[in-house]
Amino acid sequence: MTAAVVPALQSTLAAEHSACYGYGVVGAHLAVGSAALSAAAEDWIAHQRARDALTAMISDRGGRPAPSAVAYELPFPVTSATTAAQLAATMEDRVAQAYLTLVALAELELRMFGAEQVRTCALRAESWRGSTQAFPGLPPASLRR
Amino acid sequence: MTDGTPSRRAVLGAAVRGAPLAAVPLVLAACRGVQVLGSPPPPPADIRALSAAITAEEQMVAAYSAALGGLPGGDTAAVLAVRTVQAEHAAHLLQLKSRLIEPAPHPSATPRSVTSPPGSTASILQGLEQAEQAASDRLLGQLHALPPALAQLFASIAASEATHVPYLQQIPGAAP
Repeated sequence: MTAAVVPALQSTLAAEHSACYGYGVVGAHLAVGSAALSAAAEDWIAHQRARDALTAMISDRGGRPAPSAVAYELPFPVTSATTAAQLAATMEDRVAQAYLTLVALAELELRMFGAEQVRTCALRAESWRGSTQAFPGLPPASLRR
Repeated sequence: MTDGTPSRRAVLGAAVRGAPLAAVPLVLAACRGVQVLGSPPPPPADIRALSAAITAEEQMVAAYSAALGGLPGGDTAAVLAVRTVQAEHAAHLLQLKSRLIEPAPHPSATPRSVTSPPGSTASILQGLEQAEQAASDRLLGQLHALPPALAQLFASIAASEATHVPYLQQIPGAAP
């Protein structure tokens, strides 16, 4: 195991902590009984499960999983169902980017876990945004021109 | 007609007959080229994976061109969506090609021509959805052989291709 593994897991865990918080904000702006609220609840649970999996991976490697912050700054004001959906899509983009750090690791199990999570985040982002992206999780600066 | 000068054939024959026995194979080998070195080693696994991904993306771009040709006229929603996804495949192809330093072992400058007979929107989109899911899975299956940066690119492209499935499914006229 390389020294880079636990820090990479910690940064991915931090992204999942913020997504768990953010979906609470998303849900608060969606109509009760709506399909969007059901989707948000489903995605929130998925992020909680991923968070727990990352917590276990860090503990198994002798690390101390970083706790969640009390609150997180939102990237933009969320005041409606529309901006709530935008927040969900933005969070999925950012969590996908965090999981790409696991894909760069040499440990095949973590690499595959990271790649599956990038795919899952991209699918959730597509469902919130209604459109696709050519390179989910990859910052534009990393692409060659 | 002879003028006493030995013919070229006679000179070559005499040379071979007069040559030491050990030199004969060399003379013969010269006809087909001396094998100084063995055959070149196969390309490493990451180059093979990259070449395969490039070929797959070229085929995907061609499949979308064929789909555009086969979609019923007037189905503007489907045409727009298919063009959008095709543009993303073209972007994938560009990035993959930029990572290949040496020429691909089997250059495919002219992608295999794929023709698609006119069909229903549902059947054309369904074919594309299946191809997208298979392409996404195939890319993830290559991750073990790749260096970190290329693995990240493959994972991102695999994620993008997976999202094309629900995107195509939501087009009016797509199969439920």
